[in-house]
Amino acid sequence: MARRKPAAAPTRLGGRRDGWLMIAPLTALLVVMLAVPLAVDLVYAVSRVTFETLRAPSVIGFGNFAVVLRDGQFWGAMLFSLRFAVLVTAAELLLALTLAIFLAPLLASIPWLMAPLLLPMMVAPALVGLMYRLVLHEFVGAVPYYFVLLTGDSPSFLGPDTAFWTLVTIETLQWTPFALLILYTAYQSIPTDVREAASLDGTGPLQMLRYVELPLMRPTILAVGFIRFIDSFRVFDNVYTLTGAGAGGDTTTISIYIYEAFFRRDDIGVAVAASMILLAIAFAMLTVVLRWSERRA
Amino acid sequence: MRRILQAACGAVAMLALGGASARADVTVLGWPGGPEEVALRATVEAYNKQPSVAADDKVKLIFFNRDNFWDKLQADLAAGTAEFDVNLTATYAVGRYAPFMDPIDLPAAAHTTFSDGVLKTMQFEGKQYGVPTDLSLHFLYYRTDLIAKLLADPTWKAKYTEIAQAKWGKALAPKDPDQWTWDDYAATALFFTRSLNSDSPTRYGTVLQMKNLLFNMMVWHSTARSFGGNWTDASGAVTVDGPGYRAGLELYKKLYDAGTSPKDSLSYEFAEANAAFGSGQVATMLQWNAAFGDLDNKEKNPTVAGKIGTVAPPAGPEGRFTHIHGLGLGLNASTKHKDGALKFLNWLATPDAMLLYAKAGGSPALQPAIVEKIASDRPDLVKLGDYAGKYGFVMNGATSAKALQIYQLQAKEFTGYWAGTETEDAALKNVAAGMAELLKK
Repeated sequence: MARRKPAAAPTRLGGRRDGWLMIAPLTALLVVMLAVPLAVDLVYAVSRVTFETLRAPSVIGFGNFAVVLRDGQFWGAMLFSLRFAVLVTAAELLLALTLAIFLAPLLASIPWLMAPLLLPMMVAPALVGLMYRLVLHEFVGAVPYYFVLLTGDSPSFLGPDTAFWTLVTIETLQWTPFALLILYTAYQSIPTDVREAASLDGTGPLQMLRYVELPLMRPTILAVGFIRFIDSFRVFDNVYTLTGAGAGGDTTTISIYIYEAFFRRDDIGVAVAASMILLAIAFAMLTVVLRWSERRA
Repeated sequence: MRRILQAACGAVAMLALGGASARADVTVLGWPGGPEEVALRATVEAYNKQPSVAADDKVKLIFFNRDNFWDKLQADLAAGTAEFDVNLTATYAVGRYAPFMDPIDLPAAAHTTFSDGVLKTMQFEGKQYGVPTDLSLHFLYYRTDLIAKLLADPTWKAKYTEIAQAKWGKALAPKDPDQWTWDDYAATALFFTRSLNSDSPTRYGTVLQMKNLLFNMMVWHSTARSFGGNWTDASGAVTVDGPGYRAGLELYKKLYDAGTSPKDSLSYEFAEANAAFGSGQVATMLQWNAAFGDLDNKEKNPTVAGKIGTVAPPAGPEGRFTHIHGLGLGLNASTKHKDGALKFLNWLATPDAMLLYAKAGGSPALQPAIVEKIASDRPDLVKLGDYAGKYGFVMNGATSAKALQIYQLQAKEFTGYWAGTETEDAALKNVAAGMAELLKK
């Protein structure tokens, strides 16, 4: 009588094979969409390459990185993006937190009110830039029209002294709804019994906010702040459509710097090297934030 | 199962055949969203209707979005795309795209249609890279009603001279715009600025396009050239850091600082300037010829339509000049339908095809004998040809492979000077150094 094969071994092997089969499409997608472009970028970053020599780059070592790091425009763009991202993130968090707390009772009783509040972030950023080109235009825009009507004159919105603040305001107006949505959800998810217990202990509204609600919301606030910081640091569309690189390059974000080096100056190696530096900085920041979060946890 | 597989294979084969058939057309990538697109559509329709055009040579059109069109085109050409056989090119980009395009030999009829000067707008290193379909240049736009009153009203005349003396340092008298120098333009801009003259019916005397944008440099070059500015001298040495460029830069700076142009002019380009002029709150404007149709349209701009005069830009010490450049269609080097594409381009260069194109709204610069045939329908084309011949110029080196980068460099540096974030000396020094490097490569 033949011996029966043990059942466990083929099952384990079959399970492993099935596992590989299951992750194969995702792995293939990641390789094609991320690993291959990254490998090409790594080659371009250490090569002299233009549109004419895209398929035959000549490797020159780390010269492109040296060019980027010595370029005052690169550091100017980094500084602009950093200043822009810090201000926008702070403004969005403050505004969204205020709205989440003050509108909470209203939103709890009329939930659909959240839909119109979210509308700005549903518009494509490039379209927002074009829209504000119209809205702020001295002769056809609604905002200057009312300024002229009320004061006899309209201020400059996109002049060299004001363009930065106009861009910060527009970015804040567009993306505060994103922060509001998440912070409101976090605010609503604070257990009622925690609030009730604090009230029984005689906690006032301000103390409740400071010692109970904000500490419980802190991980969410940090996550939203981090996402918005990264997003606004690499802002491109609305700034590019509204002011371009700005007079004298005054509104050159780091993304615009890379775009112009790539397409306008045909310095593809330099553009990719700048992207790599940006990637390294973002990776370092992410590592620091994750480690800090782990330690806090 | 086998039947299902057979059906699926059949469907795939039919799709493949269908695709091959679609790819048999000659595909032309045109300039989107303006009169050029309308004209090209009408012209292609006429071409396709000809019995002599074989089914495989029929032309179909595709258009990108106009935003960053040239960058997208560059990426496609560099990638060796065969999605289009004929593509748009421009005078300032001929050198940039030449490595990805094939030169063409136009038929003899092309010389009946276009002058040698116009054909040259599509040449790079002596080779023809396209059929010049549209010519662009600059007009000085002005409000005829306001200038007529200025020339007739003694009170306005006296005030004009007073303001010219006080703000420009010269006691000038009003003149017909066709006789203007840049001083007259400046004095008129000052006179029609309400913050300087409370009697002015307009808020601003002019509108300057000062955004950091290469096309705005082209507009400004008409000023710089009339003061003697040029990119290089005959030997190829960069000459921008000279009196011609300085005078042109300072003219814009003085007018902007004096408040004669809207406060946000440093973010203005074609559309913003047209909106300002069309509102009726601006008296004069240097602008591309293409703006006239819309501005003079009573439905689109009821305030100013019918009250717009156009002349060549004012004169500087070297005379009157207007920057010219052409848009045209040329052959993608990666085309899979070279014969069909060449047939279309050869036909497009004939007088009959260009008359069709002009009648449908295009702006070709045609030989006098040809433009005469359409003068009653398109009187503006007569002026276009006339101004291009008398005042048209292309800066030395402005068709080189790096021309676009040079325009971009100048735009960045000079807008910095106008915004007050950079000195004139530093801007010119940076441009001269950058140009020397770009032209050397």
